[in-house]
Amino acid sequence: MLQLLVAGLTVGSGYALVALGIHIILRATRIVNFAQGEFTIVGGLLALTFVQLFHVNTWFALAGATLAGFVLGLLYERLVLRPAGRSGEIPLTIATLGTVFILLYGHALVPGWGSLPQPLPAFTGDASDAITVGGVSIQVQSIWVLGLLLAALVVLYLFFERTYYGKAIRAAANNPTGAKLVGIDVTGARAVSVGLAIALAAYGGTIIGPITLVGGAGGTAIAIKGFVGAIVGGLESPLGCVAGGLLVGVVEKLIQGLPGVSYGVSDPVVYSLLLVALLLRPQGLFGARSAVRD
Amino acid sequence: MIARLRADTRTLPILALIVVAFGIFAAGNATFAQAGTYAAIFSIAAIGLSLLLGNVNQISLGAAGFFGIGAYAVASLTTWWNLPAWLSWPLATLIGITGATIVGLGLGFIALRFRGHYLAMATLTFGLICAGIFHETKFLGGAIGIEDIPYPRFGALTISGYPAYWFAWILALGIALLTLNLLRGRSGRAFEAIRNDELAAEVLGVPTRRYKILAFAYSGALAGLAGAVYAAFLGIVVPDAVGPQLSFSLLLMVVLGGSGGVSGALIGAALLGFLDISGHQFENTREVVYGVLVIAVVIAAPNGAFGLIRSRFRPGHPERSAEGRVVEGQPRSSTFALPLDKLGVTSSVVEVAHVTQRFGGLVAVNDVSFTLTRGTLTSLIGPNGAGKTTLFNAISGIGRPTEGRVTIGGIDVTGRQPHRVAALGVGRTFQNARLFGEMTVLENVIAGAFRTEHTSFGADLFALPSSRRSEREATDRARDTLVRLGLEPLASTLAKDLAFGDRRRVELARATASNPWLLLVDEPAAGLNAGERATLTADLLKLRDAGMTLLLIEHDMRLVMSISERVMVLKFGTMIADGTADAVRNDPAVVAAYLGTAG
Repeated sequence: MLQLLVAGLTVGSGYALVALGIHIILRATRIVNFAQGEFTIVGGLLALTFVQLFHVNTWFALAGATLAGFVLGLLYERLVLRPAGRSGEIPLTIATLGTVFILLYGHALVPGWGSLPQPLPAFTGDASDAITVGGVSIQVQSIWVLGLLLAALVVLYLFFERTYYGKAIRAAANNPTGAKLVGIDVTGARAVSVGLAIALAAYGGTIIGPITLVGGAGGTAIAIKGFVGAIVGGLESPLGCVAGGLLVGVVEKLIQGLPGVSYGVSDPVVYSLLLVALLLRPQGLFGARSAVRD
Repeated sequence: MIARLRADTRTLPILALIVVAFGIFAAGNATFAQAGTYAAIFSIAAIGLSLLLGNVNQISLGAAGFFGIGAYAVASLTTWWNLPAWLSWPLATLIGITGATIVGLGLGFIALRFRGHYLAMATLTFGLICAGIFHETKFLGGAIGIEDIPYPRFGALTISGYPAYWFAWILALGIALLTLNLLRGRSGRAFEAIRNDELAAEVLGVPTRRYKILAFAYSGALAGLAGAVYAAFLGIVVPDAVGPQLSFSLLLMVVLGGSGGVSGALIGAALLGFLDISGHQFENTREVVYGVLVIAVVIAAPNGAFGLIRSRFRPGHPERSAEGRVVEGQPRSSTFALPLDKLGVTSSVVEVAHVTQRFGGLVAVNDVSFTLTRGTLTSLIGPNGAGKTTLFNAISGIGRPTEGRVTIGGIDVTGRQPHRVAALGVGRTFQNARLFGEMTVLENVIAGAFRTEHTSFGADLFALPSSRRSEREATDRARDTLVRLGLEPLASTLAKDLAFGDRRRVELARATASNPWLLLVDEPAAGLNAGERATLTADLLKLRDAGMTLLLIEHDMRLVMSISERVMVLKFGTMIADGTADAVRNDPAVVAAYLGTAG
């Protein structure tokens, strides 16, 4: 049971970061980035490339992939989101779907990436290393994943709450016109927001890489589970997104751990959470009621 | 809107000719015939998606789920039961469509309460759930799916191979015709109003949520039908074929072809069919190209291929209506008679009792009470931020008052949805004239007559006489209204091209097209010049003399004092004066509110 919980929190960390990325882009552009899951996949693959090409360890690869993700995010904003945004909300959403196509099928064309998932070296020791806590064996990698998630959250919190730039980005997202009037570069803030969100996706794809493998066609599933987490926790609340993402991971692992349940059942059940949440508590567990309605 | 539909209607025969030509050309070529059949099948689902996306401005990423419901209904039922061949497939198809429609209604009910991206996510999730269910359900064949589905058979004719091409296209073009009927009718006008401005549509009496759910269910039904045809013609259904990939493909067709109406969907389905075949050996690369193409289309040609074709043949103003007929002479119903007495209203038509509206800590309206007498013109004045528009919103159902009650004609309407308030005979205009920009002036006013029309979704779909009659009557009524307010020369101008003063007059015309007996007018004179103000004054008096009860928010004191029988003054949400124009003008509290007091 505890083992399943830890396993759930581990995959949930990936969903939590996707949910947080979706939240950041939603705040900045008012749309849901359907490509967030694909960027997570690509981020993990970038880390793999760093490992293979420069023979660095996973820590450096993580830094490299995160940085590359940020640049990728800036490009994404400049080449896709900004021009498509002029045509309205729905065309913009469709453009993010076009990006899903490009990344999903495009990454299989990149030499060394292919269409099959590959393992990423462990952060320390071997991927199968485990320690025993109170009679339960826990993968060392899981501890790293949770620690790295926490680290990312602390850094983001400090950035958005304590730095001038972070506050400026939040102001630009809350009230673009008002922010413009007090001299904030709203366009720039939006670009940086998207950059951060994609960097976060790459970071998430890398930290769970040693456990879940990197690459493959699972990006859409990751994006949806991230979104389910965001809705369950509260799309407008960053903390809710993280908690929701973790919860989705735990629910998924618990269902898979039920005796006599086929592995394929967990996804439809997890997805159904979204409809249930929309029906019962559309503002999410951590959201304020008024935040949802138009 | 009519211009767009016209282009659609005119293009349909040309597309039909191309279908026939290709059919003859593909007679000896099984690959071509099959590709053509697929294009027809997918275009049925694409038409539904096009209507949803282009006409109602709602996105669905779950079309494959509905497609799957139709496909699996046919696959499982026709292999399971032993009905005569002529009945088997049609009945299974009917059941599949019904199932898809019911699920569509349910999903629309849940997801359409929220903003666009919730719908996108909820529908995508729905599609994935369906795919998961098909994949995991034993009696639906699990991952292997269902094989050996019998071909539809009518007497000696088995629908497979080459005949399937013709059968599928007859079905697709038939659906295209029905959909055009729907868009031409009252339902289409409701969709167009929703697409342009949901709140304005609601205030005119359009039950916007119901129409959005209907459009969603209709697109689900079409996807279900497409799935039912697909299963029967292919003879096999596997879960992967009805997965999210299919939803994206359908969306791709609609975006490439151009959303809204039917031609774009047909063109898109054919286009994607062609691309699929010509790129079949470049797997992955082909999909990357699709992705780039979609982004390019969204950025550079938002109306898709059909939009490009249209603008090519209609340079200048592609959206401008060709309907330039100017109405001559007098309105048919020149007496301006109002059907006022349906509700048996006696003297007091509106009763606002102790209404308070708070937004967080701010009290926008504070314990306001008044009663309006029928056939009077009352003005509501007060400094900016006094709560005047908030009070209007409370009456017309846009905001639910925190406390108090609003009664209209003796019926408690507190917290009712705007369209239900409108249905009682309440019209209103907005401070910023919320016209339907993409519709002509005449179409705007026809939309204003929405709640006087009597026709149904089904009648529109099959263009029954009741639907046509309803449209004729609404058009007559709208023209009369235009004539009455002297706006008929503008009838075929797009609302977004109107001059500022005309926008306000057209909005007034739209609000009165359904002959409401209570009209709330929000700052009609703002930004008008002296001549326009004089016309407006005359219009308002005309409406009052015809028996309408008017409540007017206005800052122009000369106008207010010259036409109001009664003036109410709000200050910081509280009513500080209520009486005749003269009494209010000399009220010290009012003078203080406007000019400030010394000391």
